[in-house]
Amino acid sequence: MKILYLTCIVSGLCFMQHHANAQLLNKVRQKLENAAEQSVNKALGTDKNTSPAPTPSTSSGSRARNKGGAGLVTTPPDVKENLTNAESKYKAGQYGQSRAALQQAMLGVEMEIGQKILKSLPEAISGLKKNAESDQVTSTGWGWAGLTIQRQYTDSNEKELTVTVVNNAALLSAVNLYLSNGGYSQTTGGKQDWKQTKVKGNRAVIEYDENSGYKLTVPVGQSSVLVYEGVNFKDEPELMTAANAVDIAGIKKMLGEK
Amino acid sequence: MKKIFSLLFLSGFTFVAFGQDFNKNLADARTAYAAGNLSNSRFAMEQMLHTLDAAIGKDILKLLPPKMDALAANVKADNTTGTGTNSGLGLYVQLTYGTGAKTATIDIINNSPLITSLNALLALPFVGRGGDGNQKVVKVQGYKAVLSRTENSETKKLDYDLQVPMQNTLVTFKMTEAQEADVLRLANTIPLEKIASMAQ
Repeated sequence: MKILYLTCIVSGLCFMQHHANAQLLNKVRQKLENAAEQSVNKALGTDKNTSPAPTPSTSSGSRARNKGGAGLVTTPPDVKENLTNAESKYKAGQYGQSRAALQQAMLGVEMEIGQKILKSLPEAISGLKKNAESDQVTSTGWGWAGLTIQRQYTDSNEKELTVTVVNNAALLSAVNLYLSNGGYSQTTGGKQDWKQTKVKGNRAVIEYDENSGYKLTVPVGQSSVLVYEGVNFKDEPELMTAANAVDIAGIKKMLGEK
Repeated sequence: MKKIFSLLFLSGFTFVAFGQDFNKNLADARTAYAAGNLSNSRFAMEQMLHTLDAAIGKDILKLLPPKMDALAANVKADNTTGTGTNSGLGLYVQLTYGTGAKTATIDIINNSPLITSLNALLALPFVGRGGDGNQKVVKVQGYKAVLSRTENSETKKLDYDLQVPMQNTLVTFKMTEAQEADVLRLANTIPLEKIASMAQ
């Protein structure tokens, strides 16, 4: 029995000794780590002692926010240069590369068309001023989207008119379906949400939604659509007056539509 | 021998015709652009794209296998189309094999709207693997692909449809009255990488 007690006491002492050693080792390791961290911080100039100015903490994993920069340089593709490139690649039998150059040339032309159309739009419509910063000309030069030109007019408050011209639009077929098929129901629950109308002699579809406001879609020629979206317009006549301020015939001509 | 000469003559004639179209439209595009007539310039470029797509399609056809096992390619019925951007569709190439009930078809479509949904299928591990076992994701020459199977209700034989999306190009290989192993083996004879580099 005595031997058993003795063994327990010795084991206990050994365990305490081991625990104390582990604690000591941990402390030493912690000190070494701190020293290493400080020297790295000094080298990087991020030492808390040397740079007391408060800096945004990134320890939580949040990323730094960009606060400046001039953005990208606007460089629409050079049409002439790309056409020359497309020609030489075609002659060399490199059709894929020729096509890539041609797509760039088309992109360049479409951007120019878009800028011309933006210039043709009024500076103000129905008391709403143009928001030049939101002017958009986008083109894939290829594919399903085609050319999109967008201009926003706003009273800097809640009233807003967005004019969008979309070329080569899949949207066109949907609108034409509305226009050509008189069988579609025009009322839902006794309320009329959309109907056919005319803007400057062009057949169009006007819609109203409680949340998004008015939407007027005018097919322009064979492959383009002009869309007006009016938010917080008083009534339908007010939107129609605004729509009439746009030179639809001019846009049609610039897009080469008949 | 006569046939070979006729074919060579026809190919040469087609190339010259393509070349004439391309050069004429290039001249039109340049003239219209210089005159500030942007929409006409754009239209001429669309025609050039059409010509280029057709030329690329012809080159791709040359790469496709002349046979799928016992099924010979229906060379006379091959189909290449370059539609420019007007309808949104770019290059389209089709080659069929066999004339009986058992057939194979290769379709190559550039800028296919299906690509986005197929890529979504391939990216999500839990989608695209139908519980009934009629659809699954496989790999062909390192490319992920969706293999679908349908049973002919009359003959009870299986038809397969293998769709391989590659960047903006979709290659579809269809076989009727086939076995899965044969479909995958024969799909490996289609030079996917070369097609992708030419079509995109």
